[in-house]
Amino acid sequence: MRKSDGYVPALLHPGFIGAGAILLIAAFVTDVMYYRTSLMQWANFSAWLIVAGLLLALLATILLAIDFLTGRVGRIRWPDFILVALAALLSLLNVFVHSRDAWTSVVPQGILISLIVTILLLVVGFRGWTVTTLRAPVVGERP
Amino acid sequence: MSAAVLRASFALLALAALAACDGKGGDPARQYGPNPYLPEPHQYLVPPMSVPEAVGWKPGETPTVAAGLKIQTIATGLQHPRIVYMLPNSDILVVESNSPGTEPFRPKDYIQGKVKARAGAGAKGGNRITLLRDTNGDGTPELKTVFIDHLHSPYGVALVGDTLYVANTDAILAFHYTAGATHIAGPGSMLTDLPAGPIDHHWTKALVASLDGSKLYVGVGSNSNITENGMEVEAGRAAIYEVDRKTGAKRIYASGTRNPTNLAIQPQTGRLFAVVNERDEIGPDLVPDYLTSVKDGAFYGWPYSYWGQHVDIRVHPQRPDMVAKAIRPDYGLSSHVATLGVAFSKGETLSPAFADGAFVGEHGSWDRDPLNGYQVIFVPFTNGRPTGKPIPVVTGFLAKDHKTVHGRPVGVALDKTGALLIADDVGNTVWRVSAAQR
Repeated sequence: MRKSDGYVPALLHPGFIGAGAILLIAAFVTDVMYYRTSLMQWANFSAWLIVAGLLLALLATILLAIDFLTGRVGRIRWPDFILVALAALLSLLNVFVHSRDAWTSVVPQGILISLIVTILLLVVGFRGWTVTTLRAPVVGERP
Repeated sequence: MSAAVLRASFALLALAALAACDGKGGDPARQYGPNPYLPEPHQYLVPPMSVPEAVGWKPGETPTVAAGLKIQTIATGLQHPRIVYMLPNSDILVVESNSPGTEPFRPKDYIQGKVKARAGAGAKGGNRITLLRDTNGDGTPELKTVFIDHLHSPYGVALVGDTLYVANTDAILAFHYTAGATHIAGPGSMLTDLPAGPIDHHWTKALVASLDGSKLYVGVGSNSNITENGMEVEAGRAAIYEVDRKTGAKRIYASGTRNPTNLAIQPQTGRLFAVVNERDEIGPDLVPDYLTSVKDGAFYGWPYSYWGQHVDIRVHPQRPDMVAKAIRPDYGLSSHVATLGVAFSKGETLSPAFADGAFVGEHGSWDRDPLNGYQVIFVPFTNGRPTGKPIPVVTGFLAKDHKTVHGRPVGVALDKTGALLIADDVGNTVWRVSAAQR
């Protein structure tokens, strides 16, 4: 369908969903480390990773809007969109859980939320880190 | 469904329920005395809080005093005054100080810094001691001069013989004092070092000398609210030390006292008393701050438990052996009052009601709605023990709507005439409260 010599538009948002997701998944790993060692520094890492993951999620949202505005989006992939949105909302909740002091900032609720977020995001990852399809150029179209 | 999944679902449900709970504090009077009401602890998403804006005092504005008393300013324009101390010749020392400053560890620390700054706790301290002298005996000092400068977050002071001890946040310094001196130059000599950085979360080092002058007692606060900065930084903290004045040798006299913000010797018995600020963020009515006699070798619970055997689940690993050792303090002052000052009365100088007991300065905290503290109270004593209900002595630091705060009382002391002196670190003022008819 695509012209081999033409410009192929790419979606901007998936890379940032993937990057943010990696930080949120890493927070699950550091939560597990805290659970196993009771060393607070691991919990500090988690708190920073979750905040940083959400900042990248915000960036991904902006880039998703740009994807729409620049006509790169075919259609929204609702299952992925819902998984990503749920992971972001749970992570926002997790920022507050991780702002508690010491053990209960992670155990049990913090690490549980991190686990659920990790599972949701891995599913999104296996499906390509994207919440939309790329618009297929019509034959003969010049973007 | 496995047990683990059930437990997990329950935890999430509990989380949802908790986000909905409003968490208003109850009547503080339920928490006065030896058997305070202790509700169930909660783990919050956002801890209960209210943060009044620090506005200071306009000319003519003063705190409110109990009937039969009057109040006057004796010094203004100070740099975060924390402690007032009277020398034998009636000169008054004012310690102007604040935290040496700590680096943020977590995203939360940035928010918390802003919260505390709004309530007036962020101001830079003078790192000095100012001397006030009333030459004509009218209660208002004519002389105000820098007594010792270039200190490092000083707090407690104690004069024994001709040696003035100043507790910086990291060491006790000794200065030679001659009666009538208005300035001491030089850096002083170090008697002993004290636990300080890294972090130095509760930085104040309260100081008092024993009646015979042979020992100094030092209050050292914890390095966190509840071990969230790690167990390793809590070594030697949350304790009251006994320092031998001659050699500087020190030992932990009592431990498990989260933040022993001030110390005083009960004049009749020579017994050491402390005011201690307890932990935050498990509820507006947890945990009561307290006034207690300090027993040699006693453990008061922090961090593992509070008010005896009430376990704090935020501490890990838990220590049932330490929880079993924890003793209950003598007298609850209610939660989040943030006591910072304590001074025993010297007879009926203010009122017959204040003949025997201790004045307690309550700085007030952010971790409660409605706010609590922000006043100076009197705790009556009988036979050398706190008894009965506390009596408000100086109030009105907080505006009636609790939206703004004019001042926050810190250290208290009695002057030569038995009038009550109060350091106010938001109003940057020292107040003097005396009997109205004199």
